[in-house]
Amino acid sequence: MMVAEDNGSFGRRSATSRAGFFKKLYTEYGQEIVILGAIIVLLIVVGSYNPRFLSVRNLNTIFAGNAYIAVAAIGMSMVIITGHIDVSVGALIGVLATISGTIAVSGYPVWLAWLAPVVIGAAINMVVGILVAYARIPSIVVTLGMMSILRGGLISVTGGDWISGLPKSFMISQLKPFGVPAPIYFMVALTLLAAFWMRYSAFGRSLYAMGGNAEAARATGIPIERRTMIVFMIHGAFAGLATILFATQLQIIQSTVPPNLELTVITAAVIGGVSILGGTGTVIGSTFAAILFATIGSALIFTNVSAYWLRAVIGTLILVTVLVDVMRRRNKR
Amino acid sequence: MIKILSGLHAPDSGGVIEIEGQPVSFSTTRDASRAGIATVYQELLLFPELTITENIFLGHSPRRRWGGIDWAEARSRARRLLDSLDCYALDTDTKVSTLSVAQRQRVEIAKALSHDARVLIMDEPTASLPQADVDQLMDVVKKLRAQGVAIIYVSHRMSEIFELADRVTVLRDGALIGTHAIDEVDEAKLVSMMVGRAIEQLFPKVEPNIGEVVFEAEGLNCGPLVKNVSFSLRRGEILGVAGLIGSGRTELALALFGITPATSGTIRVKGKQEVIRSPRSARDLGIAYVPEDRGLQGLVKPLPISQNISMASLDRMTTFSIIPFAEEARRALAAVKRLGVRSRGDVHQAVGELSGGNQQKVVVAKWLETQPEILILDEPTRGVDVGAKAEIHAVMGELAQKGLAIIMISSELPEVLGMSDRIMVINNGSVVETIDRADATPESVGMAMTAEQKKMDAA
Amino acid sequence: MHIRKILRHETILAVLTVIVLIVLSFQSDRFFTVDNLLNQGRLMTEVGLIAIMMTFVIATGGIDLSVGSIVGLTAILMGVFWKNLGMPLPAAMILAIISGTLAGFGNGVIITRFSVPPLIATLATLALYRGIAEGISQARSVRGYPDWFYVLGQGEFAGVPTQLWILLVVAVVSALVLGVTRIGRTVYAIGFNEVAARFSGLPVDRTKLAIYTASGFAAALAGVIFVSRVSTTRSDMGTGLELDAITAVVLGGTSIYGGRGTIAGTFIALVLIQGLKNGLSWPALREKEPSC
Repeated sequence: MMVAEDNGSFGRRSATSRAGFFKKLYTEYGQEIVILGAIIVLLIVVGSYNPRFLSVRNLNTIFAGNAYIAVAAIGMSMVIITGHIDVSVGALIGVLATISGTIAVSGYPVWLAWLAPVVIGAAINMVVGILVAYARIPSIVVTLGMMSILRGGLISVTGGDWISGLPKSFMISQLKPFGVPAPIYFMVALTLLAAFWMRYSAFGRSLYAMGGNAEAARATGIPIERRTMIVFMIHGAFAGLATILFATQLQIIQSTVPPNLELTVITAAVIGGVSILGGTGTVIGSTFAAILFATIGSALIFTNVSAYWLRAVIGTLILVTVLVDVMRRRNKR
Repeated sequence: MIKILSGLHAPDSGGVIEIEGQPVSFSTTRDASRAGIATVYQELLLFPELTITENIFLGHSPRRRWGGIDWAEARSRARRLLDSLDCYALDTDTKVSTLSVAQRQRVEIAKALSHDARVLIMDEPTASLPQADVDQLMDVVKKLRAQGVAIIYVSHRMSEIFELADRVTVLRDGALIGTHAIDEVDEAKLVSMMVGRAIEQLFPKVEPNIGEVVFEAEGLNCGPLVKNVSFSLRRGEILGVAGLIGSGRTELALALFGITPATSGTIRVKGKQEVIRSPRSARDLGIAYVPEDRGLQGLVKPLPISQNISMASLDRMTTFSIIPFAEEARRALAAVKRLGVRSRGDVHQAVGELSGGNQQKVVVAKWLETQPEILILDEPTRGVDVGAKAEIHAVMGELAQKGLAIIMISSELPEVLGMSDRIMVINNGSVVETIDRADATPESVGMAMTAEQKKMDAA
Repeated sequence: MHIRKILRHETILAVLTVIVLIVLSFQSDRFFTVDNLLNQGRLMTEVGLIAIMMTFVIATGGIDLSVGSIVGLTAILMGVFWKNLGMPLPAAMILAIISGTLAGFGNGVIITRFSVPPLIATLATLALYRGIAEGISQARSVRGYPDWFYVLGQGEFAGVPTQLWILLVVAVVSALVLGVTRIGRTVYAIGFNEVAARFSGLPVDRTKLAIYTASGFAAALAGVIFVSRVSTTRSDMGTGLELDAITAVVLGGTSIYGGRGTIAGTFIALVLIQGLKNGLSWPALREKEPSC
């Protein structure tokens, strides 16, 4: 009896039929598909209630205005998949925006103002990565400290002044090649690039291994410390890219950090299916989640529900997602 | 030992490892795999969220010229490796999290072989497998041997050793005892080499003083591994529980102790019907449980000895929740003296700094503080050196003499036979036989432990 | 021996704090005045109350990110109960604090009953509670509280700000609970090894539930004091407070992995942070003053 059963499990061959393909797609990208479905349903329902919701202009606003959150969430997903967390990303974006803006108004070439946040973001997060990987300080402690330093530094250096008079050539977010705002190109390209890299490169795959079981990853011969540091640097570079999209939206750069930005970014990653315990998730999911948040926000306005309920809706959404996930895992056992 | 060979730990001093005549030294697992040594560990080191192919080739995937991973090549090589292990039907793109333990082990072996290993080390590979899978694994191992792979097979199961090995080396407490060709030794000789001393010394059995029934279980069910279990336990009695790993011994203990409460059946303590919902309610009924995994379940290692000893009985010591520290230390000191715990002098030393045997004594002391009437010991001497083992056995004898009813779960047949007044054999979640001390022999208990599965094999 | 080990971090921190305070007092003659110090104590109270309960939470190996949102929710509810529903203010205060405590209880239920990791559970309720506050308030602030209410946040008792008394009482009681009671012992045991604590028959779930509830209560109390101090109710009150509180707890020597930590450490860290905030902002203020 038992023997037969075990032979059975060894003998299972996965079906390669069309149904099998969709089933595989679902087991692999279940969370991503659910979120995408939610976005589409939302677009259809709200669009039929108020057609202006689906106007090109509004869609552009939804996607372009929040692209920087999606870009930042890509790096955050990588960090979380590796089994760490970063609560300083909001402060980092604030600091990088100020640096970039200062360079732009000081008459330096505009490419320097674009390059600087990416390089400096990677450099700052290299420090974080070294402390986490080599000094073995928990990432939440390191990044809490970094957040205080960055915020404090920002306030004492700028004294709360805003930067204005930004040169027109600096405003990359306001470009519209082929009628589509530039941030959308960035968001799509960076997401695909990162997803491809996480899925097919040896480095990307090793991040899942490190987040899933660090000791086993070490036994396999993965240089955990170096890769942890590099992941933080990549995350810093993505924060830099997000900064460019964020800072070039408006004519002024506030010297304050958008409140709770780090939590929004973390939430996008988590809702996108990245397990906070590390080891699972994809960057596509986090981008979808960022889009979903933006869509909900806009939908509330177009259905005449006060936008002030946005956060309550998102909170409920997170809670439901998490509880469903927990229940599903419990049933599996 | 195994970890040194595979490069996970470096040897502390001296010692030369030679492979095909070449002395080698490795400080990392990469060095070891380059030298052709691959290891299948006791606890499987796979990544559940990655596919079979990814797990096999993690860290050394075939590359394309531009440095990307050549997935087609990796898949076809994974396919060939799996085929060589008789897993023709396992899809290489399946996530490892969906596989059974036996299937995961095959992947683990394939991973080891993917390094072109000439030496394969297998550390207790059958510890968590059901019998049917063990037989299949035996076939795979024989096949590999026929292909010219040298295999170091670490196991404490005699039957596997005799079935597979050409030569056998016995290690005890980190020292080499001896190496023999397999036809030079028999089972009795191996046991005496492993134990290193006469059995009587290790199991100082005192004349039991058995009283009335204190505990009865009837038709207990809990999950797939506790099925319709009934037994009774008398004052002063040591009831040995024997069974293979995975037979449901620990699951029974967890049900009795309320960690995973029984879903049906009745429990009577001193004739009164009771329901055990939590460890706390078990404790209040006078049941104590010294768990299987000392480090994880038994002790809070960074806390001092005194705080660990008082942990289960804290609420009986405090007034308005306030801890009487002097009283706590005094009681701990008395317990430490009574059980002969060797520490660096006082009871404020962190438990984690003690040796395995002394840690185990602290767990026992913690539960004796609750003044239990029924003591469940799960693998009480696992990872304990021989000296402390004898001491723990002596303590058990003493406690039973004083009227404590003891349930002792053990994987070591000599321990079960040496200490128990009665032996209850569990097989696949059910009690298959209860044997009195007088009638118990290694053969009779061993037969009962594996009987069911032999029947199945025949069918 | 063991006690010395625990105290070491706190001692270093205390010495550091004293040095920082001395240096700051040389920087500005206004720093080391009784008025300024008491005023700083006033400013420290809200984050202090939260940080003290957060010490318990982190010592069990958990975290509570929702406290800042509970501050905002409590503040809004008090305003709504009093102004919109016409309740007497004392009843509105009590009901708001009960609501905040229930919010903490909700965290505890999600964490213990459904085994959701605390970081995720409170990340979700952070958004949820703040969202409810924003939804209810619709960005309208509530003002015009009666004078007696401001005693709590702006008044004095025996020459010391009223809320500082509350903070001190909470700190002392908490230090005793964590240091010498069964509850404290259970907290440390859970933090070091939750499984072993469970196997020892300790009330693990009940203790965690109680701690998250207490964390909600502290945040609710802080919310009411906050409103009384700034004379107005807004829904964004307490934003980011959770990270300030966690910083103080971690700086105070509590291990983020659980098991280690004291109230004394947290309290010293609070003083250090407040001192730095105050001291470092003087020069900036001085530069700005003429232009203002």
